[in-house]
Amino acid sequence: MAYSDKVVDHFNNPRNMGSFKKDEEGIGTGMVGAPECGDVMKLQIKVQNDTIVDAKFKTFGCGSAIASSSLATEWLKGKTIEEAQQIKNTDIVQELNLPPVKIHCSVLAEDAIKAALADYQKKSGDKTEAAQ
Amino acid sequence: MAHHTHTSGSRDLQMARSMCWHCQSEVSGEYFCDRCVKVQPVSKETDYFTCFGLPRRLTVDQSKLEAKFYELSRAFHPDFYQNKSEAEQTISLGNAATLNTAYRTLRDPIQRAEYLLDLEAGSVKEIRTSPPSDLFEEILELQDTLEAYRASESASEAGRTLRAQLVAEQAALEGRKHEMEQQLQRLFTGWDALQDRGDAAAQARAERDRLLKQMRDLLSNRTYVKNIVTDLVATIG
Repeated sequence: MAYSDKVVDHFNNPRNMGSFKKDEEGIGTGMVGAPECGDVMKLQIKVQNDTIVDAKFKTFGCGSAIASSSLATEWLKGKTIEEAQQIKNTDIVQELNLPPVKIHCSVLAEDAIKAALADYQKKSGDKTEAAQ
Repeated sequence: MAHHTHTSGSRDLQMARSMCWHCQSEVSGEYFCDRCVKVQPVSKETDYFTCFGLPRRLTVDQSKLEAKFYELSRAFHPDFYQNKSEAEQTISLGNAATLNTAYRTLRDPIQRAEYLLDLEAGSVKEIRTSPPSDLFEEILELQDTLEAYRASESASEAGRTLRAQLVAEQAALEGRKHEMEQQLQRLFTGWDALQDRGDAAAQARAERDRLLKQMRDLLSNRTYVKNIVTDLVATIG
């Protein structure tokens, strides 16, 4: 089975690979894994004034998992938290033309986005609570 | 559906009771109709343990499993169905395929456990497993070292240092994988003992869920470790 051109492109030139310091201001970290295939994905967002100004990822897994997370970081940049919540795995499947056996990679990416957003919201919520 | 709640009572190794496709009599035999002796298809609801007449346990008598598998492989061998009807040929072929998969699954302790956990999934899914963040961080860090090694000149000082580091990592991870497998083995024994007791008290149910969750977590973590080890081996040879 061949990967689509877009998957190959993201795999060869991954966008936004790397990481932020977890405890830095405005950082949300999502760390997820797929127990069935052993893939691990870390996705981080940097938020300023409710907008995602930067995003980074690190993925250990197959080409589709890397491409899914790479694409996710591209999409996240410039989005508000609320807009980011709307990203669905099916959007990733469509954009990357993922075959049925690789759909779980896009699910993993969506989970990572959700986890990063939740982590950011929890951290900023804690801070507002502490300030009150 | 009220009458269909729990049938754990007498699990005396029967195929799901149904009608013989040929003579319409009730089939109570294992794979062949008692009356017309025609081969019967393995029911979709029959779990792999029942296929081989084994109790649903995580420790399996390997010699018994193998003997039963060979016996059934002979019983469904295409050679014996050449002169039979098309329906019988199709059924025996289907049975042989199912039993092959069943045998491969039950033969391997890890696959067997994964399969049993799937059978028990109803209650496992309710238990939220938390992703092992520390292990993930470790795997991703190791991934960076692997990248650096792949990019380095293997004969260079840096290349040699990275290689030594990776060799050490591989040994450590393989040790951990082995430890996980031993721990799993202990859980398997605990699970079987609990099943043997057949206790339905609340305490036993809690113990059951605890064991299922621990097994689920360990099996997942083992897969993560196994994958990174495979990657390591492929890179440093």
